[in-house]
Amino acid sequence: MSAIYLYPRWVRIWHWLNAFLFAILIASGASLHFTGNSWLLDFAIARPVHNISGLLLIVSWFVFIIGNVMTDNGRHYRVQWRGFFGRLFSQGRYYAVGIFRNEPHPFHPSEAMKLNTLQQLSYLGVMYVLMPLLVISGGAFLLAVYLPDTIFGLGSIWVVAMLHLTVAYSLVLFVLVHLYIITTGDTVTTNLRAMLTGWHRDDQQETTK
Amino acid sequence: MLFLILLLMAAPLLAEPPETVTTNAACLRCHGMKTLAYRHPQTGKIVDLFIEQFAISHSVHGKLACTECHDGDFAHYPHHAETQQRSLSCVECHEQQDDAAKRHYRFTTIDAEYAKSIHATSAETEAATFNCHSCHDPHRFHASQIGDSLATIIHNDNALCFTCHEQARIKHAWLPNRERHWETVRCLDCHTPVTNAEQAVSHHILSAADSNHDCVNCHSKNSQLLNRLYRYRAASDVASQGWLNTAIFNEAYVVGMSRSAVLDRLALAIIGLTLLILLAHGIGRYRAQQRLLRKQ
Repeated sequence: MSAIYLYPRWVRIWHWLNAFLFAILIASGASLHFTGNSWLLDFAIARPVHNISGLLLIVSWFVFIIGNVMTDNGRHYRVQWRGFFGRLFSQGRYYAVGIFRNEPHPFHPSEAMKLNTLQQLSYLGVMYVLMPLLVISGGAFLLAVYLPDTIFGLGSIWVVAMLHLTVAYSLVLFVLVHLYIITTGDTVTTNLRAMLTGWHRDDQQETTK
Repeated sequence: MLFLILLLMAAPLLAEPPETVTTNAACLRCHGMKTLAYRHPQTGKIVDLFIEQFAISHSVHGKLACTECHDGDFAHYPHHAETQQRSLSCVECHEQQDDAAKRHYRFTTIDAEYAKSIHATSAETEAATFNCHSCHDPHRFHASQIGDSLATIIHNDNALCFTCHEQARIKHAWLPNRERHWETVRCLDCHTPVTNAEQAVSHHILSAADSNHDCVNCHSKNSQLLNRLYRYRAASDVASQGWLNTAIFNEAYVVGMSRSAVLDRLALAIIGLTLLILLAHGIGRYRAQQRLLRKQ
């Protein structure tokens, strides 16, 4: 059995704070969107909670970007194009077929690359596409007074609202899949422990070596 | 000798004709009395002539001399009938201002809008004497102040309508969450047509029948009305609280504004489907794991 230190402390702290904000934003956002349901937060509470958490999420996003620029954590997000589609396919095939046949993981995280290609692609999409869109549309809501009346001939508030909603739903989808994928390590809790302690334990890695 | 010189110097003051002493203070000597009123000989109604000093000094006209609007000979009491009956023209005076063209409100536009409004076109006897002053008391009116809370602005705005429209409560029985609406939305938001952004609020007040009854116009649809409502609120929020507080405590969110039935259904269906797939995937993994354990 081997263990490698994959997640430095700042990444872990950032990850859990970000996860906490996501949980609050999803709960309060749903409460604003579907207001009136008894199992949701009260509208008057959900509103400031969502606004404050949203502003904190903007800060959190910048911390992630700056952290990746300042430290070498950013290397994990640089796509290696050589063999890209082959790796993407084998990772996809593993989740679709191999995992049910108890096949070994096709990817073993290393200090050089902790993310498998599918993982890398989804994180790139979330952190560098969806998150900026979420932050921009959320910010536009808060400072709606400075918006033009129309964007592309449509009412600007509506455009902003639909963008924010679409991105929010996409991120909910991401969180669901993310939560499930956590359990697909060597044991159900392997990946969860790695994000708590920073150390990734890889039983198969040793046997395959 | 000195006394004589002083007397000579003071002579112009003493000799000043009474016509020119119509300063605001002189007017308010009588009109500042709360009880100043008379019974109109024809209608029998009490006509209140009291001007509240604090209200007028804090109104939009607070810096004007009384005589700038009420010109004529008011030095004599009783005032001449001719001077009393002069009508005032708001539009004329306001359009004569140097910066009239640059102002947020063009009074010619207001005039044109008002001419079409139910206040001007109604055949009801109560509406016969309606004019600008029915809503905008020139002796106390002021536009919403920066620093007032949104709730205060809306309350004051709506209170104006309720002074005449006593039946409003009964007539709005159909409106869900009536009191909540009245606390957060101005009467005008539903009872005027949506105008372009240059003039924030139209003076074209609609009849009850022509007013907006459609919930969807504010709640969820891609409408100008929603834009106006949201941005009006955001604007007054920013003005009164600064942008950071506005961002945190903004009162502008209109329930249902972000709702799109198509998007909601589609997204919830995809999320539901994903959950089912994940569940099936998990069951499949569990069974594979069991097989592995049996083999070992």
